[in-house]
Amino acid sequence: MKQKMDVLQGTLALMILKTLDVLGPLHGYGIARRIEQISGDLLAVNQGTLYPVLLKLEQEGSIASEWGASEHNRRARFYRLTRDGRKQLQAETRGWNQTSAIIGRFFAAKSEDFS
Amino acid sequence: MFAGMFQRMFRRERKATDFDAEIQSHIRLEEERLREQGLTPAEAHNRACRAFGNVTHAQERFHESRRWLFFDHFSQDVRFALRMLRKSPAFTAIAALTLALGIGANTAIFSMVDSLFLRPSPVAHAEQLTTLAFQRVGGDYDSIFSYSDFQDIRNQSAEVFSQVAASMDLRGMDGLSVNGKQEPIWTSYVSGNFFETMGLKPALGNFIEPASGKSVDDAPVLVLGYTYWKTHFAADPNVIGKSVLINGHPVTIIGVAPQGFHSISTFLDMQGYMSFGMASVTADASKDFFTSRKPAGITIYAHLKPGVTLSAAQSALSVIGRRLSSQYPLDDNWKSLLAYSLGPLSPYDDPSGPAIIMLMCVLFLFLTGLVLLLACLNVANLLLARASAREREMAVRAAVGAARSRLVRQLLTESLLLALLGCAGGIAFGRLGSQWLGSLNLNTTMPFVLDFQFDWRVFLYALAAAVLTGIVVGIIPALRATRVNLNDILHKSGRTSTARRQRARSVLVIAQVGGSLMLLIVAGLFVRSLQQAEHLDLGFDPHHVLNFTLDAHEAGYNDAQGRDFLQNLLSRVRALPGIETASLAAVVPMSFSGNDEELKIQGYEPPKNQPAATADFNAVSPDYFRTMRMPILRGRAILDSDTQTSAHVAVINEAMAKEFWPSSDPIGRQFMSINDVQHPTGSTAVVEHLSITVVGIVKNGRVVNFRRDFRPYMYLPLAQKYETPVTLQVRTSLPLASLNPEVLGLVHSLSASMPVFNIQTMTDALDTLPGLLLYQIGAALAASLGLLGLALAAVGIYGVVSCTASQRTHEIGIRLALGAQRVDILRMVLGQGFRIVGIGVLAGVLAAVAIARLVGNFLSGVSPLDPLTYLSASLLLAAIALFACYIPARRAMRVDPMVALRYE
Repeated sequence: MKQKMDVLQGTLALMILKTLDVLGPLHGYGIARRIEQISGDLLAVNQGTLYPVLLKLEQEGSIASEWGASEHNRRARFYRLTRDGRKQLQAETRGWNQTSAIIGRFFAAKSEDFS
Repeated sequence: MFAGMFQRMFRRERKATDFDAEIQSHIRLEEERLREQGLTPAEAHNRACRAFGNVTHAQERFHESRRWLFFDHFSQDVRFALRMLRKSPAFTAIAALTLALGIGANTAIFSMVDSLFLRPSPVAHAEQLTTLAFQRVGGDYDSIFSYSDFQDIRNQSAEVFSQVAASMDLRGMDGLSVNGKQEPIWTSYVSGNFFETMGLKPALGNFIEPASGKSVDDAPVLVLGYTYWKTHFAADPNVIGKSVLINGHPVTIIGVAPQGFHSISTFLDMQGYMSFGMASVTADASKDFFTSRKPAGITIYAHLKPGVTLSAAQSALSVIGRRLSSQYPLDDNWKSLLAYSLGPLSPYDDPSGPAIIMLMCVLFLFLTGLVLLLACLNVANLLLARASAREREMAVRAAVGAARSRLVRQLLTESLLLALLGCAGGIAFGRLGSQWLGSLNLNTTMPFVLDFQFDWRVFLYALAAAVLTGIVVGIIPALRATRVNLNDILHKSGRTSTARRQRARSVLVIAQVGGSLMLLIVAGLFVRSLQQAEHLDLGFDPHHVLNFTLDAHEAGYNDAQGRDFLQNLLSRVRALPGIETASLAAVVPMSFSGNDEELKIQGYEPPKNQPAATADFNAVSPDYFRTMRMPILRGRAILDSDTQTSAHVAVINEAMAKEFWPSSDPIGRQFMSINDVQHPTGSTAVVEHLSITVVGIVKNGRVVNFRRDFRPYMYLPLAQKYETPVTLQVRTSLPLASLNPEVLGLVHSLSASMPVFNIQTMTDALDTLPGLLLYQIGAALAASLGLLGLALAAVGIYGVVSCTASQRTHEIGIRLALGAQRVDILRMVLGQGFRIVGIGVLAGVLAAVAIARLVGNFLSGVSPLDPLTYLSASLLLAAIALFACYIPARRAMRVDPMVALRYE
């Protein structure tokens, strides 16, 4: 159970970092919407689960936040990527690409390849 | 990981309200989007909340992310523990007081150990500093060298030592007169490089020039000790350059030694330092001080060269030692020369074995440790009893999801808090104790340091003791209390008799009885030893005798003037009304000073590998034996007719007669006094080989210490062996205090500048370290520890027995209902107590036997296995323990069966 959570959390963190990298500073709601849109609602997570991940990332110094005004002039807390966060994103992306490539090759392999 | 922690610690904290606001804004943004899609506000709100999910969950995560949970729980535990302690003030007070007594006793003793042994030496590179000793024929080590020895050793050991320095201490007091006012001062005569070797910097002014101190009177300068400068010169910085008189000779004060440097030994507070060059000017050292090879009481310190080990220095020294012994054969031929590391007691301790004070510290640290252990056992017992009562609380906590580690932590927090309370009390008690130890009157003019200040080491020790105590006390009850079967307890509705827990408590009480019996036995031995010493036949009568010590040397008198003065004084004092007898003596019984002399006796050969014949001696005036009421067994006493010019005579004690003339009559026999070792007062006799005739035998007296055996002792006429200072002793039938001003007035009418000190009765004069003082301190300390242990044991037994009895109320009720007699109940409850006490007493006796050898070092006149002490201590403890059992047993006997059965 716990392990699965970690994978989910790790994935979520990576998605958040990538979102902030592409879209620039964004509030929590914006990040949640973006992830929902991209994953096509496939990733049926409660929006609330995002916040512990945001807190954790901020504590680690990957992102920073401050209050600002949203598009409709609503007060919201905006998150942005820090320099550390950018580095972390690059490293994680490389790692993720490697992993998915390996997994991809693994699933693509046919039985005769092993003989 | 740590970086993150620190960030979290120091970052500006986000408030929980801020986080809530963020969540609310999130939900509002979603609401807005949904409303734009055409939903009603209420519907939009509901769906937004649903999409967000569990708000509380997010808040909890936020809460946890902000802090270390550990601290959170810790502060919770502390707050809860404080509430629990406040809720039962009686329990808290008893437990904290118990621990405070234990910790206090430890802290007091430790402060003594700390100030004597642990405080770092102010000397630079103390670990490279050694002190030298030589071994005499017969195996005794000694560290009194002559100046020539010092020079030879210094010149020949340059390969292993970077510096070799020397000092001559404790030769007696000098008189320092400033602006006509005379004060006694203890000075050390040192080589020029003494301070340099010690790596010291003066607190003020300069030290003695390194090049000085090689010939007579080349540097008439004085360096003051720091404490002396503060107390006698009010820390006046203008003291530098001041001209003062030492024993009538002008010297200039040039500097002040640094604070914290008392002397090489931590025991003594040297008050002034002068160059060796002054020794023969102000201290009457013999004229051939710089050339003689006679041991002159010089201690040698050597600083190891960097990289040279002690054993390398040792082998170099043994070569030098052999060379010197063959070059200058002396009668007390050196066997070997050795260096040993400078310890807190050196150079006055014996390198061949631990000093008595060290053993005493070890013993008392052990005994106070035992008291603390007893206190711990007691509190552990109390906590166990409370744990039984709190069983349900623990079970409920466990049932609602508290982890066992969390419960243990909570209980440990409680016991640690208790221990810290005890620590605070203990430091207060310890302060009182160490003040008492520091205020002991050692009955000597020697500048002993008894400065048992509390420094950080003492506080650390108390704190460490408290933390250890908290854990020791808390861990067993905590583990036991939390190892519970939920079902059992929650269903059992309050009846909490777990036989196993009772067994644990019984074991604790057995340990307590054993430990406190051991303390009692040690206390009993100390007290008996003191009684024995007090009632010992001293061989003289100390009652109705008053002592006045006078130092003619300090007043600037030479020998002839001194003799005249004393003669004059004696005849005037004898003429005072109410005086039975009056006499003079160089040595007061049981005082620190003492002289011994090597003798050559015709027809006596010392046994092989034994030192040559020696005897302690005292120089006394006529009438001495009458004043002290020492019976002359044969021959005559010392008379007025024994003058400077008449034949030399001696009165010897029985032990000396038996030792040297076992088969013949010693009266009329002659012996040669060979060697005039420089004795502590600094004056040296002029004649070296004199022939002395035995004229009388006096009864053995305990004049040196309280040891059982008598050593050879002889009394020489003061007229033939002039000594200073001397003590005037008067025997009177008048109240002693009334005589005081009269005699003092007489002394000062003869010589206004004559220093008079140690004015005390002869009985008081016995309370010295060689005399009764050590026994008194030992007995007082041991007795207070013993009583403390006894009280702790009584409380412990009472607690266990009464607790068991009350837990068995139900059972007792049933027994009574089924027809048991009340006596049977009494027997049953008492039986438990008897078993515990019996096993405990056995354990205590065995434990006392185990440390008997250590204790035996401090006893006189009583065996460390003295059966009477063992028996009476056991009986006393057993009686008190059984009484402690009897109270709860009687209560159990009176249980009303109906009440007991309805109970619950």
